[in-house]
Amino acid sequence: MVVTHFKMNFKHKFVFLFPGLLVLIGILIFPVVFTVRLSLSSWDSVYPGLDFIGLDNYIRLFTDDKRFWESFFRLSFLSVTTVVLQYVIGFSLALIVWKDILFKRFFRVLFLIPMMTTPVIMTVIWRTFFHESLGPVNDFFSLFDVTPLWLSDEKLAKLTVIIVEVWQWTPFMFLLLLAGLLSLPKEPFLAAAIDGASPLRKFIYVTFPLMAPISIGAIIIRLIEASKIMDTVYVLTSGGPGTATETSSFYIFIKGLREFQMGYSAALSFTYLIIMIISLTIIAKVLGKLLINRY
Amino acid sequence: MKFFYIISKYLAITLWSMFVVAPFLWALSTSFKDFNSVTKKATYIPWLQFEPSLEGWKVLIRSPAKGGVDIIEPYFNSIFVTCSASLISILLGTLAAYALSRFTFKAGFIKNNDITFFFISQRIMPPIVLSIPFFLMLGYLELLDSLFGLILVYIVLLMPIAVWIMVDFFNKVPKEIDETALIDGCNPYQAFIKVVIPNSIPGLIVAGLFCIIFGWIDFFFAFILTFTEVQLLPVKIVALNSSVTPWWSLSASALVSVAPLIVVAFIVERYLSKGDLSGALK
Amino acid sequence: MRILIYKLTLVLTLVFLSNYALADKWSDQFPHIKNTGDIPGECSYESMSKKDYSGRTLKINTHAVPVMGEPTALHAEQFRKLTGAEVKVVHTPAGDLYAKAMVPFQAGQAPYDIVFGFSNFIRDWMQYLEPVPEKYVNMRQMQDVTQSHIGVASWDGQMIQFPIDGDRHYLKYRKDVIDNPKFQKKYKADTGRTLKIPTTWKEYGEIAAYFNGWDWDNDGELEYGSAEVMKKDDLMFAAFFSRSAAYSKNPRTPGGFYFDLETMEPLINNPGFVEALNDWVAATKYVPPGGINFGLGDEINSFGGGQTLFSFSWDDAFVKAMEDSSPIKNKVGAAPLPGAEKVWNRGDNSWDMGHNQAPYIVWGWAAAVAKKSKNHDMAFDYLCFFANDANHQADIAIGRFGVNPFKKSDFDPQIYIDRQGWDPLIAKSYAATLMGMEEYSTNRVFPLRVPGVFQFTGAVATGTSKALAGQLSPKEALDEVAAEWKKIIKRVGADNIRKAYAVGVALEDNKK
Repeated sequence: MVVTHFKMNFKHKFVFLFPGLLVLIGILIFPVVFTVRLSLSSWDSVYPGLDFIGLDNYIRLFTDDKRFWESFFRLSFLSVTTVVLQYVIGFSLALIVWKDILFKRFFRVLFLIPMMTTPVIMTVIWRTFFHESLGPVNDFFSLFDVTPLWLSDEKLAKLTVIIVEVWQWTPFMFLLLLAGLLSLPKEPFLAAAIDGASPLRKFIYVTFPLMAPISIGAIIIRLIEASKIMDTVYVLTSGGPGTATETSSFYIFIKGLREFQMGYSAALSFTYLIIMIISLTIIAKVLGKLLINRY
Repeated sequence: MKFFYIISKYLAITLWSMFVVAPFLWALSTSFKDFNSVTKKATYIPWLQFEPSLEGWKVLIRSPAKGGVDIIEPYFNSIFVTCSASLISILLGTLAAYALSRFTFKAGFIKNNDITFFFISQRIMPPIVLSIPFFLMLGYLELLDSLFGLILVYIVLLMPIAVWIMVDFFNKVPKEIDETALIDGCNPYQAFIKVVIPNSIPGLIVAGLFCIIFGWIDFFFAFILTFTEVQLLPVKIVALNSSVTPWWSLSASALVSVAPLIVVAFIVERYLSKGDLSGALK
Repeated sequence: MRILIYKLTLVLTLVFLSNYALADKWSDQFPHIKNTGDIPGECSYESMSKKDYSGRTLKINTHAVPVMGEPTALHAEQFRKLTGAEVKVVHTPAGDLYAKAMVPFQAGQAPYDIVFGFSNFIRDWMQYLEPVPEKYVNMRQMQDVTQSHIGVASWDGQMIQFPIDGDRHYLKYRKDVIDNPKFQKKYKADTGRTLKIPTTWKEYGEIAAYFNGWDWDNDGELEYGSAEVMKKDDLMFAAFFSRSAAYSKNPRTPGGFYFDLETMEPLINNPGFVEALNDWVAATKYVPPGGINFGLGDEINSFGGGQTLFSFSWDDAFVKAMEDSSPIKNKVGAAPLPGAEKVWNRGDNSWDMGHNQAPYIVWGWAAAVAKKSKNHDMAFDYLCFFANDANHQADIAIGRFGVNPFKKSDFDPQIYIDRQGWDPLIAKSYAATLMGMEEYSTNRVFPLRVPGVFQFTGAVATGTSKALAGQLSPKEALDEVAAEWKKIIKRVGADNIRKAYAVGVALEDNKK
């Protein structure tokens, strides 16, 4: 790609960038600095206030907090699984409703709706939906004489969380990818048509590579959001059974707002932030190499 | 072969549609139930399997002194806050995204991609830890329990999304277009408004929708940063959640919360189709 | 002489009628108290109407509607009409009450004049609260509150929280099964044991297991043994302590239930607690499907909806079952929590055989006034009004309000028979059960009220739920909890905790 520089003064590019950047930094600078400072204190319900205890919180979380790392492992599993599923399903749906199909516009709108529900409220509906003795899912399964324990079995609970997340956020991928598809240039497709390519070849060699940058962007942002999963876990299972669905964000929430260990929670959050930034950068680079440079 | 292909397409979207619709139908049915209809076993059809009642719906407009939660004012508060914050976020975010897509920034080792990543990394931080500092900050500015304070916080939450999405979409619009405009005598601002924007409508629409959605569904910040004066919709609805979880009123409130966004979805779909870049780029 | 008598009679009649007239005057305006009319007192409707708070605003953070939320809002409305004050009420779900109060408090602010919460918040938030002034403590309506509830609302003799509700855990059972001769015969024939109200947790488990998984009330649905709060949320540890109180609270070894007061050694993993957790893990076999994910709401749905034989936590499930619209109205009974057939003696390091009972005076709803509030006078008047005799009598008769008995005059069965249509036998056993736990118990367990309490209870919740899920054995789980407790004690400071715990121990070992 040839990079063209516009022949213009410096000042233009800053006029565009700075309003947004400055507003962001301005509002965020205090909270971020405060959070770091908080992580160096032992603020909790008993000792509020910013005393200084150095790196004690960090030492504690690296040496003495098995639960945090277990939750991280669980989080990786859950977020990667849901994002991959959302990507595959979202992309497929976008491809289907991209071209002419019966009731195309109806389906497009319908598929958007799940992500517009407020998680805090919708997950209560899901909890009743999957209620093992009073909900419709097990009512259906009772036809086969089984009572799967959707929310009280360790493995099934994870599956239920995945199902709810996929339902809620596939529309995100779907919309982003559909918008991407709708703004693709026509030329490559005309060329492919002339070459007589089958739909499959068209997809692999034309559509997918063109959609690669948007795909990566969508995956990254979904990974970020998926990792913050809170309301779903909180309402459905409270991290249970046992600790089967306890994710890092849930653990940080418990430590912070339930047990009120604010200082420690800040240290956990900051560590989480660093780890996420590193992993996402790696993932973005890997995906970039995989998807873009192949063709 | 082609037949099989078509059948599987329709099958796929039918199955997915059923999956999408199932919880809503359940919520609709449940919203007309009461305690006894819910605790015996799963029931679906009113009159046939249970006695319907409007309690779940009426509770949403009753005052708390009579056992309800009045969601009318929070409804409008939410609309106002979400729209204002989204508008400002889109504005600032699109400008920033354009800069990041077209120009090169270099400050030491910080390059364009890093700045873009900085924007989106704001969304990584779990909200919990930001509760006390935001509380302190807004308290100092005397913006607690106010619409303006909430809007300020939401801008920080929503702008990164706008930036992240618009950068991708601007990158798709070839730079030749800008150059042509400049050669034709436009200054950069005119080039931006007259030429680039119209070619990235799908991106704008999508970014706008996401901003509205993420603003509308936020619970946490509205919860921590407001008290008695300003109440947003999710916080008010959750006030129904006492020891006995009221399946019926929560179902009704879920449907009521989603309603305005469905309208927005229709609008989005319309503009999405219009922005279909079929044809020559002007 | 005759004329004097006539005059006296006339005067007395007028006084009597005027009182009546007074009572009618308020109950006409406020239908809520129509059954009793206004009852005279320092905080009655009459007294409040004399106060003028117009132009001032009172801000209250309370629980969701209707439990506590509805009476708060209702009394706020009434207060407004009587005094002219503007009252703004905000409703918050139970699990978030702590955060909603503590975040502003710790940031140095007091956006609410009155905060509602659970009474076990007391040690954590008392530094931000205004103690209840003497004049309210000395009022007749306050003197009517039972000793244990005054204890729950106070810290070291000073009343910090205003008593507005009382709570306890007790056993609830289906009378139509336990008292049913047909089932009694069947049970005896099948197991050789007597079907009766269980007096130990082992009996509870045996009976629940027997009645688990078949339709014993002929409604076409399967029934199960017991509905318990097992979901790893903010309340389940109370269910665990209810089950373990009798195994671990030994009247012969005073000086600590959660910790040994002298050494601050956690007692949570001693054999008494392990035995209780064994029982609880066994219970997962006789709860309805999904039972280990039951929160309080699910338990109420389950027992109150007729799905289970037993339940044993807060009042709500019983009250729900006894509502007019309930299909099992007057088919449920109340009894004290089961005890245990043995109790651990940590002095001798062995079991003391023999029946042991230890009621768990579990926490309930509490309300308090913020120290930084500028409306102390108005706030305390509101709370006093909330709990005045007329309002309170009306409130406890409305199940969904969540206001449960805590005054000596509340334990009168007539209230429930007349006002709520309860069966007299049931009303009597209910009143007797509650009264027994309040006034007559000498070996009881008070809620843990030390600094950082939620760190301790969070550890218990995590550990016990791991055992319930089968991730760890009961002994391993509780050992893990004890290790966590040791760490918390080190962080918070052993002396701090000991000082606070001593206050609770004094109440627990209360020897009358």
